[in-house]
Amino acid sequence: MEVGRQILDQQLVDKTGLGVGKVDGIMLELRNGAAPRISAVLTGGHLFARRLHPRLERWARRLTRNWGPGKPEPLRIPWSKVMKIGVDVKVDIDAADAMPWEHWVRDRIIGRIPGSGS
Amino acid sequence: MSKLLKIALGIFTSIGGFLEVGAIATTAQAGAAFGFRLIWAVVLGTICVIFLVEMSGRLAAVSRHTIKDALRERFGPRIFLLTLVSDGVINLLVLAAEIGGMSLALQLVTGISFRWWAVPVGFLTWLLLWKGSFSLIENGVSLLGMVAVAFLVGAVMLDPPLNAMVRGAWPSLPTERPVHYWFTAVSILGAAISPYLFYFYSAGAIEDHWDEDEIGVNRAVATVGMSFGAILAIAVLVVAAMVFHPHGIEPERYEQVALLLTSPLGRWGFYLFAATLLVSCLGAALEISLATAYSFAQGLGWNWGEDVRPRDAARFSLVYTVMIALTSLLMVAGIDPLKLTLFSMALTSLTLPIVTFPFLILMNDRDYVGEYGNHWIGNLAVIAISLLASIIALVAIPLQLMGG
Repeated sequence: MEVGRQILDQQLVDKTGLGVGKVDGIMLELRNGAAPRISAVLTGGHLFARRLHPRLERWARRLTRNWGPGKPEPLRIPWSKVMKIGVDVKVDIDAADAMPWEHWVRDRIIGRIPGSGS
Repeated sequence: MSKLLKIALGIFTSIGGFLEVGAIATTAQAGAAFGFRLIWAVVLGTICVIFLVEMSGRLAAVSRHTIKDALRERFGPRIFLLTLVSDGVINLLVLAAEIGGMSLALQLVTGISFRWWAVPVGFLTWLLLWKGSFSLIENGVSLLGMVAVAFLVGAVMLDPPLNAMVRGAWPSLPTERPVHYWFTAVSILGAAISPYLFYFYSAGAIEDHWDEDEIGVNRAVATVGMSFGAILAIAVLVVAAMVFHPHGIEPERYEQVALLLTSPLGRWGFYLFAATLLVSCLGAALEISLATAYSFAQGLGWNWGEDVRPRDAARFSLVYTVMIALTSLLMVAGIDPLKLTLFSMALTSLTLPIVTFPFLILMNDRDYVGEYGNHWIGNLAVIAISLLASIIALVAIPLQLMGG
């Protein structure tokens, strides 16, 4: 639980040091007769929005579904993929598959401007 | 890189960051309206910004965190968002003022209205961010910014009375027009203590991979660089106090401010003023755009970095692109750049505690800075000055708006 409080809002980086997002939420596994255990860390804009206000979360979801990259689900990273907790939280995933908004902005807007470095 | 070169470069950057449209406009106003009497506001603002810049460098060197990154981690989404919105709005206004400043510099030289220049100037700013590297922006532009030394030359040539200047460095109550006096004082404070300056500085320290070894360099750069910047700002005030004040001239437009240097330096003075305005505003515009993009990226966990190709930091690049486009359009709409500058500087003062208080908590938290925590003098100076600036601004801004 202490670990949970510590890593919440920390930076997530992938194996290569690329930013994946922030730890916007933590998934706990409740066990009979034992202390709850962290089963996954979550990251996603609507999760961030939910912690501000539920209405903001609805807006964020609608934005993602109607104008953005689609499916408004947070990225769920199983606890077993967490490699190291230091200044950042290093996780064993590929950031390239993990950031729908980043890719949406890259493919629809930034990548189309000349000189963006294709 | 040798330590000495590092210090020298850092100092140049800090001077470049200090003197921009806000500092020029507010000190020129102060000198014209109140002679030397508001020098204290420059001094007070400089003390505060030296502490804050030093702290942001130390935070980066010890904790490897930028300010925004640490704010999000330590305080969670609400406080982080509060600071993001507050300095996002301020940065937008100040960036518009800088783009206005560049456009006006070109208007002075060409005679073509600043509204025509806003889009080309915005495009140039964007292109430098899009294609340029961090060191190009940091070092190139601030070296060019040395043209601002013209103000120091001008001030010395005018042979100002030293004892009146020294008296002005000590805070005093206004003898006339109190609202204008206090409004100008908080504008100066806001121009000196621009939050984008230390956000930019903290991101730069992370991009340059600082560690504990840099703490000494950092302290020297912050102190010497900001003090030099302050001397240039005081020089602007002194020139205005010598040239405008005795004749009761109070510049209402930048065209009038431009005549500052013609008295000591003749025709050259006019061009030097335009060049200083152009270069210093360009430097500030680059730093503000980057600082805002950094803030979003560091607080929300996006990829960031000025040396990364735009498509590899798409959302980061999107922030500065949208911001520059918006502010250029704001200037095309024909908002008075001088009024906008003074107003946004005062607004900066008003919002200072939102930025500085959470930052101070970080700087006293052993989890972040360990044994390198703040000295109580730094804490006290920043709390006192930002509270003072904010309270005066709270009273002076509405009164100024009603009166003006």
